[in-house]
Amino acid sequence: MAAPLDSPALPPAALPAAPRRRLVGVGLLLAAIVAAIPLSALIGSASLPPDAVLGILLHQLSGGAVGAPCGPVASTAEQCRVWTEVVWGGRMPSVLVAVFVGAALALSGGTLQGVFRNPLSDPYLLGLSSGAALGASLLLTFQIAPANSATLLPVFAFAGALVPGFAVYLAASGRRHSPETLVLTGVALSAIFSALLATFLFYNPAAGLQLSFWLLGNLQDESWLRVGIVAGAVVAVGAVISLHGTELNILQLGRDVAESVGVDATRTSRRLILLSTVVTAVAVAFTGVIGFVGLVSPHVVRRFVGSNYRWVLPVSGMFGALFLLVAWDCAEVILPPVVIPVGIPTAFVGAPFFLYLLYRRRSGDP
Amino acid sequence: MSAAGDAPADDAGSPPTGLRFSHVSVAYGARAAVRDVSFSVAPGEVVALAGPNGSGKSSLLRAAVGLAPRTAGVVLVGSSEQLPERPRERAVRVAWMPQDEPGGENVPLEEYVGYGRYARTPQWSLPSAADRAAVLAAIEAVDLGEFCGRGMAELSGGERQRARLARTLAQEAPVLLLDEPTAHLDIGHQLDVLGRIRRYAAERRLSVVVALHDLNLAARFMDRVAVLSRGRLVAVGRPSEILSPALLEEVWGVLAELRRDARTGEPYLLPRLAPPVGEVRPAGPRRRVHVVAGGGSGAGLLRTLFEQGFDLSTGVLPLFDTDTECARELSVPAAIELPFAPIGDDALRHLDQLLGAADAIVVAAFPVGPTNVANLVRLRSWVGRRPVALLAQPPGARWDYADGTATAVREELVTLGAVVLPDPAAVVGWLARLGARPPT
Repeated sequence: MAAPLDSPALPPAALPAAPRRRLVGVGLLLAAIVAAIPLSALIGSASLPPDAVLGILLHQLSGGAVGAPCGPVASTAEQCRVWTEVVWGGRMPSVLVAVFVGAALALSGGTLQGVFRNPLSDPYLLGLSSGAALGASLLLTFQIAPANSATLLPVFAFAGALVPGFAVYLAASGRRHSPETLVLTGVALSAIFSALLATFLFYNPAAGLQLSFWLLGNLQDESWLRVGIVAGAVVAVGAVISLHGTELNILQLGRDVAESVGVDATRTSRRLILLSTVVTAVAVAFTGVIGFVGLVSPHVVRRFVGSNYRWVLPVSGMFGALFLLVAWDCAEVILPPVVIPVGIPTAFVGAPFFLYLLYRRRSGDP
Repeated sequence: MSAAGDAPADDAGSPPTGLRFSHVSVAYGARAAVRDVSFSVAPGEVVALAGPNGSGKSSLLRAAVGLAPRTAGVVLVGSSEQLPERPRERAVRVAWMPQDEPGGENVPLEEYVGYGRYARTPQWSLPSAADRAAVLAAIEAVDLGEFCGRGMAELSGGERQRARLARTLAQEAPVLLLDEPTAHLDIGHQLDVLGRIRRYAAERRLSVVVALHDLNLAARFMDRVAVLSRGRLVAVGRPSEILSPALLEEVWGVLAELRRDARTGEPYLLPRLAPPVGEVRPAGPRRRVHVVAGGGSGAGLLRTLFEQGFDLSTGVLPLFDTDTECARELSVPAAIELPFAPIGDDALRHLDQLLGAADAIVVAAFPVGPTNVANLVRLRSWVGRRPVALLAQPPGARWDYADGTATAVREELVTLGAVVLPDPAAVVGWLARLGARPPT
């Protein structure tokens, strides 16, 4: 119950304080995302004048009503056309895909951590991401459809992610499993899928399969169509997942308690794993495998909003969006003019965090 | 109470409601945990489910909520309505509180208790005013009102236990199944929680089954007790009717005495201590030991020998002596004389009978005066016929108030073959070494 209860025993200011602080935090997070989007558009391999970039964004967002096409900076029409193409046709889709993929991975991670009651869960560590990448790569390797088909890639990715999804579900249902077994199962599956992916590359070198893209993530070649698909999937699935906050909270008390108060634990778990698989697949289909966003985001968010899943899930999505966006900015500026795969900065942050979680668990700290 | 819709009105002639286990069996694979158990619980009635560890208590309760594989029989609620399979439908009919559960997330108390409303709140909708009222009522019922707004992680173990009970109550189911609701609670909270369950069940006409290890709490708070042993129901009925030393020995393997609480008339059980592992217990027929004592000197010895399983007798003791009380409580036959009177012939005859029936005689370190010196004197004629042990008198303490007669007789007994032992433990060892019954 988010609404404060009218209890006579309740001191007047006791309950509202925490939700208010949470709301302020969420507001700040949203503001940071909104601010980071245009700022991220300033960054890229070609150096464009910042006021020109902002002018283009303003002009495009207002549907041509506000400002000159390329802002106040004088330039030829041809230069303006190229700049607009770089900013609006290239950078903005990448930035927005980063936002929605970040949200997708974080939502997926938060959900999996809840379903498996395992703080080490993450679509990357559980092998869902590499399964999705393998599925998508099938499409390219065997040229089943026009390469990079924006609509078929997610479908293949989903089919691929179902395999590890089912496998970890079985592993978690087994009688003897620890958080570590689950993650190690995922790691082993990841290794198999990555090896198959590499095999496909060598089987058909002309298929346009870039190993670094698929294994480390890339946001360079995005389009507005992809933005639309990822955004639609993340918003729709994310909303459904977020509605399961109470169920996830109850599942933390164990299957028995959940069933006794009326939660169908098996069906709910399956449904949530399936939804996580869907968002992961859509994300991976367009960006390749990006690790640790799903692991880090929910844990960071818990520090600020507490461990209630009704808050953790949506706020994780927001945090993941910001996290991947910043990671993408870093990927663009670390080794200019080369843009490194975005999975590299996320791994630099996420892998040490993973070790921290692992050893904190070991030392018995909750 | 929204459960009112499920339970018919409480007027005469309405079909029996409540909870009914009918020939329920539970098995995990080949291992049977519950076999053919049948009993019912009326509305407003609280029944304790007792039995040793592994007797099937938890399994029976879990089977009722679909968490343990029921291989035969049915669980009925209300007017012979079988429990639905779907968790959501079942949760409004039966609420279950497990023995233990994982910590869960640090949500505020009222949200946690609100989990109990899950099945009553339509999916995807916010809790209604009725939900909030039920949550607050449940929190009040366990007296946690002051903790509203606090996170679950901030509560103590006992408070969390009561919060779990509140969550179960918030389900507003007509049937409550509570698995060890007093585990982790101190004695004060045990009494408090069981009392609340009692009152809540009576007020709301709930059928309650409480798995309980403590038989005395069961006798005190429960209408009836159902006793499980190795998955079978071996007794069910009012505590005063079914609780007996025989049942305790049969089901739990515990030797105990049954007392009656003078204030309530309810029975309570006083277990004997089991002999320490490895200690010699008397083999074959239980041997009879006569204890000569007085002034409270024999109580410890009587208790020790009683717990070791010896048949006992004692005397001659004055009426109202501490040792006399002890003998009475342990149902040990005793030769009695009036207080402050010298031991008379009748008492001595009784003593001779008791000594004759005994296989060994132990003399406690008791103060001897003119009235009871006859006890020692009488032993002179028995010391050759029965093994006799004397507990050493504490050094320096005055015990002979009979002008030296007592000391003289005691020394005479030793010369005639009585042994002197330092403490009751040594007596146990001495009796064990005596072995088989000596020929008379």
